[in-house]
Amino acid sequence: MTATTTPTRRITAAMAMAEAIAIEMRKSDDVFVMGEDVGPYGGIFGSTTGLYDEFGPERVIDTPISETAFIGAGIGAAVEGMRPVVELMFIDFYGVAMDQITNHMAKIHYESGGEVNVPMVLMSATGAGYSDAAQHSQSLWGTFAHLPGLKVVIPSNPYDSKGLMASAIQDDNPVLYLFHKGAQGLVWMKKNPRSIAEVPEGEFTVPIGEAAIAREGTDVTIVTVSLSVQHSLDVAEELAGEGISVEVVDLRSLVPLDREAVLNSVAKTGRLLVVDEDYRSFGLSGEMAAIIAETDPTLLKRPMRRLAVPDVPIPYARSLEYAILPTTDKIAAAVRDLMS
Amino acid sequence: MITEIPFPLASGDDPGAEGVVATWFVDHGAPVVEGQLIAEAQLDKVSEEVHAPVTGTLYHYVAEGVGVAQGAMIGRIDS
Repeated sequence: MTATTTPTRRITAAMAMAEAIAIEMRKSDDVFVMGEDVGPYGGIFGSTTGLYDEFGPERVIDTPISETAFIGAGIGAAVEGMRPVVELMFIDFYGVAMDQITNHMAKIHYESGGEVNVPMVLMSATGAGYSDAAQHSQSLWGTFAHLPGLKVVIPSNPYDSKGLMASAIQDDNPVLYLFHKGAQGLVWMKKNPRSIAEVPEGEFTVPIGEAAIAREGTDVTIVTVSLSVQHSLDVAEELAGEGISVEVVDLRSLVPLDREAVLNSVAKTGRLLVVDEDYRSFGLSGEMAAIIAETDPTLLKRPMRRLAVPDVPIPYARSLEYAILPTTDKIAAAVRDLMS
Repeated sequence: MITEIPFPLASGDDPGAEGVVATWFVDHGAPVVEGQLIAEAQLDKVSEEVHAPVTGTLYHYVAEGVGVAQGAMIGRIDS
């Protein structure tokens, strides 16, 4: 258990997110929530459940289905000094609002010479695994980490879901908060027990830009984020029984990126597997390769491995979907391969 | 004193439909305080939180994901 000043109890990651938002809303009238079905419905992945009952329709605002309009409205509110938490229901819907996100939300502080802040959180659901097909299953964090101007945070467990949300709202910079549907602890999803965990009742933050060593090990480093952290921890437990010691590095944010944590772990193990539910090419896994190659290629005893979604749309058919996702059996096989 | 906890959901059109305790937030044999979230129940894609009616020790009658009849008792709290 972590050292905190408030009691803890087990809750889902979804509840942890909503709780962090509620705490910030109680502290400041500048914080409000806006998006599709964030009100009485409570967010289709539970991210705002309970907020409407406590804060009402003026601070928890259901919007029409126009992402450009309500993300733009959030940016406008942020530059006027409010702290909006805007939900884009699925990250796949970014396309229609990409100008607002990358040309305005991400660039206003730069273009104004730092005179105008955009203290806004854009939260959005990512990830596959339940046959929601090619337009509702993507991860896409690599896309937003590639384009400059946004912080990109990605929790993998309930504690970080709450602490990173608190940090995101308190941050004076625009933050993209990406939560995996399959790691929310929802009853209608396939559920990993790691999506339900002890979380302090009171306020706390998790700093943005610091990776977590989710599990210490000595043989192989797995660098990953989001639901794949849960899978990697399951694999690490399984392989410990075979005498393979796996270290799991949960990046927790891609921007800023904790390069030191990656390099320190690889310096220790000499073997690197990057597990990424985003597309393989031009993304997170390639960035990890570049960091090693630019710093010290001799850190690696063996060529690194990448386990990511091959560059195809996410299939609808369950068997095909799981054929392309970084599942536990594929992670375990890749680790064994690195040790062979 | 023993306080039993009923499955909280009922199906409008199928009294024979089974639900599940989708999540136990508190372990079998662990202490709970009145009002604490202890479980999430699900029936026909509707879910409902279950909170402890009294302070005491929680005992599960059913495991997560196992079919439960509407109105059946899912656990008890000894206080």
